[in-house]
Amino acid sequence: MEFQKILIPVVGSEADVEALKLAIRLAKKEKGKIWSVYVIAIKRALPLNAEIRPEIDKAENILDHLEILAEEEDYEVETDVLQAREVGPAIVDEAVEREVDLILMGVKYKRRFGQFSLGSVAPYVLKNSPCPVILYQH
Amino acid sequence: MLGIPAVFSAGYGNVGSSIYYALGIVALVAMGATPVALGIAGVLFIFTALTYAEGTAAFPEAGGSASFARHGFNDLAGFIAGWALMLSYIVTISISAFTIPPYLGFFWEPFKDSATIGTLASIGIVLFLMTLNVIGIKETSFVNISAAVLDLATQVSLVVIGFVLLFNPTVLIHRIVDNWPAPENLIIGIALAAIAYTGIETMSQMAEETKQPQKSVPRALVMMIVAVLVIFAGISLVSLSAMTPQELATDWSRDPVAGIAASLPLVLLRDVLKPLIAILAGTILLIATNAGLIGISRLAFSLGNHRLVPPALSRIHPRFKTPYISVILFSVVAIIILIPSFFEADVFKNMGALYAVGSLLSFMFAHASIISLRIRRPELQRPFKLRGNIKIKGRELPISALLGFCALTVIWVIILITQPYSRWVGLGWMVVGIIIYYFYRKRENLPLTHMPKGRENQKNSTIL
Repeated sequence: MEFQKILIPVVGSEADVEALKLAIRLAKKEKGKIWSVYVIAIKRALPLNAEIRPEIDKAENILDHLEILAEEEDYEVETDVLQAREVGPAIVDEAVEREVDLILMGVKYKRRFGQFSLGSVAPYVLKNSPCPVILYQH
Repeated sequence: MLGIPAVFSAGYGNVGSSIYYALGIVALVAMGATPVALGIAGVLFIFTALTYAEGTAAFPEAGGSASFARHGFNDLAGFIAGWALMLSYIVTISISAFTIPPYLGFFWEPFKDSATIGTLASIGIVLFLMTLNVIGIKETSFVNISAAVLDLATQVSLVVIGFVLLFNPTVLIHRIVDNWPAPENLIIGIALAAIAYTGIETMSQMAEETKQPQKSVPRALVMMIVAVLVIFAGISLVSLSAMTPQELATDWSRDPVAGIAASLPLVLLRDVLKPLIAILAGTILLIATNAGLIGISRLAFSLGNHRLVPPALSRIHPRFKTPYISVILFSVVAIIILIPSFFEADVFKNMGALYAVGSLLSFMFAHASIISLRIRRPELQRPFKLRGNIKIKGRELPISALLGFCALTVIWVIILITQPYSRWVGLGWMVVGIIIYYFYRKRENLPLTHMPKGRENQKNSTIL
């Protein structure tokens, strides 16, 4: 499979780094483009354009760190901070808008009520994505 | 980003909920002329919705009439419109919370019969929602859409069942004619009926998170106009077929839709619908109370962003990421408005008139701003432009906005003259707001009217 455009939604976990490295490996063959996005979920009591400085700073730090890692791998990654009511739909919308060929998400091993849980974002993306999705579990 | 169905649902969810109390509040003064008052208010609602369609399409940003007034006039006008709008949001929270217990009275009568228990329950509801909004509940747009669909389905069913089983033109005409109010009461009834049309602002506030807002919001507004007018006309006619205006204004003033269900001639249908209406109305009004709290928090944040109110109202909780100060402050004000219901009998009418003072003032600003923009900025891109204009000195002025502005101004003045509670509380609210605005702008070295360029907050991130 060829992946010219890859979207990596990140949350600041170690899995993001591994997902980025994998994305670079996949994209390098075709000299593809990689976008990394961090979605800030805005509560409904706030307008969608509310500027929550600590959240924006956190997002920018995470994305800066990934850009540096990509540079170390001799690759360029475009980054963006998005604001949305829900993270899953924001990722899918972004994938549609950018017409990506692949969404590559790093997921952490999480347990909820004693059971393995993927949370709500990854299942939403798997269900609604317009393109193939790879989950990289760290 | 939201599409037309989601925007329509949010708007209808808000407007549609108001019929659960608007009917009773209007009947308190308009008596037999309740359907007429709702109808006339409906025409004014069309004018206002059209004005909002033009304004929102031109400026797809949160703030509604406050945003139009800021662009159409200056910061001071934007503040006054926004502060008036805040009052109407707060009273919406109080009224919605106030009318939940009477509907739940089906399950436990003291909720409806005891002023103390009913008011305590209403205050409890506001406190509960305040806590949820400070913590920041996760509410998906699915909830809004489901609530609106449920709301619409219930109301359509009730209208259809009511027309089949209750509608009697002769009885209806007699009840209207025999209980026709004094002209003054009819006008107050029309003003109170404005409470039935509270959702226009909600749609406008959502412009920023709507796909192609220039097209979607006007379309959703037009869809809402049609749905609301048809449903409200149907329910008001059915209600007066089901009960006399006196019954509507006394026994069922706070839960008129329950009154319709209780008047159905078929026992089986009555037994099914009465608990169903109690649950549905309670749920829908709870969502509406929450929508009011969310709406005012967003509005306060938007006004804070444009430096029209002190930054404390935009302060975000470090852990919960919610505007906790505005949520707590406005919940407390909504509770204060509920306090008189422990002691007074006509508090419901007073709350309705207070709502009218705030909402009519902000709607007046919306109309005036659209007219002002037509004069001052004729070149402005208007993806939705009102038709039916008159030309004065080369400027096209929309007739609907002119009529809407004049009619609302007359009604607003009459309300202020005839309703002492809403006059003093409403004007008191406005005076306190202007004092806060004055000192805040002075302290920040900002002019009272215009915003110097480059002082507004800049946004860098993308909005989805």
